[in-house]
Amino acid sequence: MRIRTIALLLILFGTLAVFSPADAQNAPEASERGKEVYEDSCAHCHGVEGRGDGSAAENLLPRPRDFTRGLYKIRSTEAGQLPTDQDLFDIITEGMPGSSMPEWETALSTDDRWQLVAYIKTFYPGFKENETPPKQITLAGKISYAEQSVEIGKELYVELGCVECHGNVGRGDGTSAPTLEDSWGFQTWPANLTQGWTFRGGYDTEDIFKRFIGGIAGSPMPAFEGDSFLNFGLTAEESKRLIELENRDEMTEAEEEESGKFYEKMDAAVDIALTIQEGGEVSAADIQTYNDAMKIVYEKSWHLANYVKSLMPEKRPEPAIGNNVLRSQYVQGALPAIDDAVWETFEARYFPLVGQVVIEPRQFNPTIDGVHVKSFYNDTEVAFLFIWDDRTHTTDETDENTGKTLEDALAVQFPVKVPQGPTAPKPYFLWGGRLPVYLWHWKASMPEQVTELTAKGINNAEVQEVQGELEVQSDYTDGQYKLWVKRALKTEDKKDLQLEPSVFVPIAFSAWDGSNGDVDTKRTMTSWYTFVLEPVPSSRRFVYPPLIAILSVGLLFGLRAFVQRRNSEEV
Amino acid sequence: MKKLSLFTICLIILIGSWVFLRFVVGGIISVPIPSSVIAMYMGLIVIAILVHISVEDSQFREFLRPIHETLVEDRRRIHRRVLVVLIPLFLLGYTYSIIAQRANPPGSPRDAHPSPPLELTYKDEVIGTMQDVVNPYRHYEKDDPEEFKAHVENGRRVYHQNCFVCHGDHLDGQGHFAPYLQPLPANFQDPGIIPNFQESFFFWRIAKGGPGLPAAGTPWDSAMPIWEDTLTKEEIWDVILFLSDYTGYQPRTFGEAH
Ligand code: HEC
Ligand code: HEC
Ligand code: HEC
Repeated sequence: MRIRTIALLLILFGTLAVFSPADAQNAPEASERGKEVYEDSCAHCHGVEGRGDGSAAENLLPRPRDFTRGLYKIRSTEAGQLPTDQDLFDIITEGMPGSSMPEWETALSTDDRWQLVAYIKTFYPGFKENETPPKQITLAGKISYAEQSVEIGKELYVELGCVECHGNVGRGDGTSAPTLEDSWGFQTWPANLTQGWTFRGGYDTEDIFKRFIGGIAGSPMPAFEGDSFLNFGLTAEESKRLIELENRDEMTEAEEEESGKFYEKMDAAVDIALTIQEGGEVSAADIQTYNDAMKIVYEKSWHLANYVKSLMPEKRPEPAIGNNVLRSQYVQGALPAIDDAVWETFEARYFPLVGQVVIEPRQFNPTIDGVHVKSFYNDTEVAFLFIWDDRTHTTDETDENTGKTLEDALAVQFPVKVPQGPTAPKPYFLWGGRLPVYLWHWKASMPEQVTELTAKGINNAEVQEVQGELEVQSDYTDGQYKLWVKRALKTEDKKDLQLEPSVFVPIAFSAWDGSNGDVDTKRTMTSWYTFVLEPVPSSRRFVYPPLIAILSVGLLFGLRAFVQRRNSEEV
Repeated sequence: MKKLSLFTICLIILIGSWVFLRFVVGGIISVPIPSSVIAMYMGLIVIAILVHISVEDSQFREFLRPIHETLVEDRRRIHRRVLVVLIPLFLLGYTYSIIAQRANPPGSPRDAHPSPPLELTYKDEVIGTMQDVVNPYRHYEKDDPEEFKAHVENGRRVYHQNCFVCHGDHLDGQGHFAPYLQPLPANFQDPGIIPNFQESFFFWRIAKGGPGLPAAGTPWDSAMPIWEDTLTKEEIWDVILFLSDYTGYQPRTFGEAH
């Protein structure tokens, strides 16, 4: 019986799954060395007994993994399976972006990392009990990136309910986003699919594909597990038709029947899959049905992966440091409003935000990645457009612990007086200190208003008595805020920053995500960056260079004539 | 082999010195030399060459010969035509690039290890002079290894509850918040840090943080927190033991801290 089932499984997956790719390795026997390295480098997060309860764990979300349940997010194996040794080695080597799990390639030798694989496997008995190697996902049928595949992926994205968690355009802002918990009961946010660099398992198309087939164990993100996810058992046309029917307000009797048929078909396929998983007997026809269904699942997953890939830039944008500073461009006449197409012509500067961990209470687990900024100015005014992603639109939530009101907000910080020269003191980067800063504070509950503050410390900010005439517009759509602020270059108020072209001005940001518990000092922040009203390029650049070129030709001929004359004189 | 003309030699010396100053020396000290300094050295070299060639009349004439030939002789016609096009083109491009160049922000020079104050304090309490204060738990290393280990472990806890997000799990300054802070968090695996300073120096840096630096250390830019607000004296001494234990570097034990 057992042998027969295994033989059956081999036939089944022979077409789909490739066992142990050539470069995959197995871990050595667990040894003392593994324990030693683990206790020195991992235990303060993952706990001495692997329960994810090390001394640092409490501050961290996602929590360091509890290894005792055998749940691993990043695998090359099918859903419900354990990872391969190579998977564990790779994740230890590369770390998990978007979490506090670091890469260990630089700090630990290859041998030590293999020792660790062996050691962490001892925390979960399942590794030992499982004799059959885990089924690996094959990448053989890869569907390459193409417009058409992206289109199909996009339809699937809506059909399969990805929208409910990941939102319309993938910013992780779906309606169920704030309600999700992982298998340990901790809050977890759906990935922002426009920021591939925050994916735990990498953002190559192949990586993303594997997450759909293998699932992300321990997370609420659904995956194909021989259940009806991905409408297992239906062809692409059939599942499309089914969604179409389900979206009707009312179905006719014939339509009811039609949709019922689809469900029967899915149930039958799922039954076969379960029988196979449990090692039961199935007929040749069933195997055919199952193989066909699996093939479709793989195809759908490639289309989805291609679509997800289409949502993100190729890599994380460069931060606005060095000469890559924010340069406000000069325009003649009126400055563009928030929805003007002209903004599209301006490449934003990117200011990555990090958790504020300098002053208590701290934010170790920021949810805002960064703010993108554009700016134009004319002879009298300057306009900024600030853009940042936030999964939820929070205007007044109450913090369970402190009773404080939580809401989304952004603060833009300048010095009150621009430091003269590169060594002149600046105000402290975190809301000033001995030297004051000038702030624009915007809150989601008052979307058309920016409050001017003067601050001499993070807990020492004052609303300015004279509020300048700032024009403000804002927008929240699909998990993204846009804030537009316009101010005169010069104001009467001595507590305001005064702006003029060509002067490099320090600029910094703070942002709050209310649904992440951000309030007061708990926030995301940047250190000082630089911004400048870029001067209009001088028209002299078209005058002097040709003049000098012509002059040099004249000089050369003059010299030649001079030398020739002297030669003839000498002769 | 044909002997190189004096003119070619001078040209090679000039270009060679420029390349040397710009790339070789800049590469060795790993910061590019400011262009004004290069210009000054190049000026000196030009003067030296001029002095050299003008000492003797024959030498001067020898130097001028190729220029002379290029300007008038028929067999150099091609050279002449090429130069009459290249020289103005070069000047055109060069002046344009200078005039159209957009201004870049001035770099802000920073002394990463400015001199500490003479007195070491924790909050307002004076601990002693910077030069004489030692880590009160260091002696356990020899006297009571068990006790020492307990202090290191406590330091490890302090580090992983407070510091690793910036200074990194490997103490190499590569914490997950680190790449977006300016200046970057210190890298304790760098052999230029722990062995060069006394433990009192690190106590000062940890207790007073970025804002405690003198102006040369640009205290307004540093994200290094003020830890005397949240950590006890013992916790600070312990985390210093952990830094040195984990990296294997011993802090200096005598002499000036800087
Ligand atoms: C700073 C804390 C921290 C340290 C130190 C740390 N980890 Fe992790 N580790 C995490 C977190 C957090 C996660 C979970 C991330 C998630 O679930 O998104 C994780 C997850 C993992 C996973 C699960 C990967 C998966 O596919 O789900 C493995 C394996 C792992 N860590 C191994 C190690 C090893 C081995 C070490 C020591 C060399 C180590 N970690 C050190 C924080 C840490
Ligand atoms: C129930 C909510 C939910 C649904 C529905 C959902 N996801 Fe997710 N998704 C998540 C969560 C939560 C995570 C974060 C997983 C983690 O790292 O813990 C995630 C992560 C991801 C990732 C990043 C993987 C990585 O390496 O970090 C991708 C890509 C993704 N989802 C795509 C999709 C697609 C495509 C669909 C539709 C087929 C989908 N998700 C449906 C909740 C969901
Ligand atoms: C928010 C990020 C951050 C955190 C958290 C942080 N540091 Fe720092 N630290 C920095 C930065 C940035 C520097 C470099 C700038 C400076 O010298 O002030 C630095 C510098 C230092 C230095 C000076 C090194 C030298 O070369 O002189 C020491 C020592 C230090 N940190 C120890 C610690 C300890 C111990 C902790 C935890 C208790 C800690 N830091 C937490 C950001 C941080």
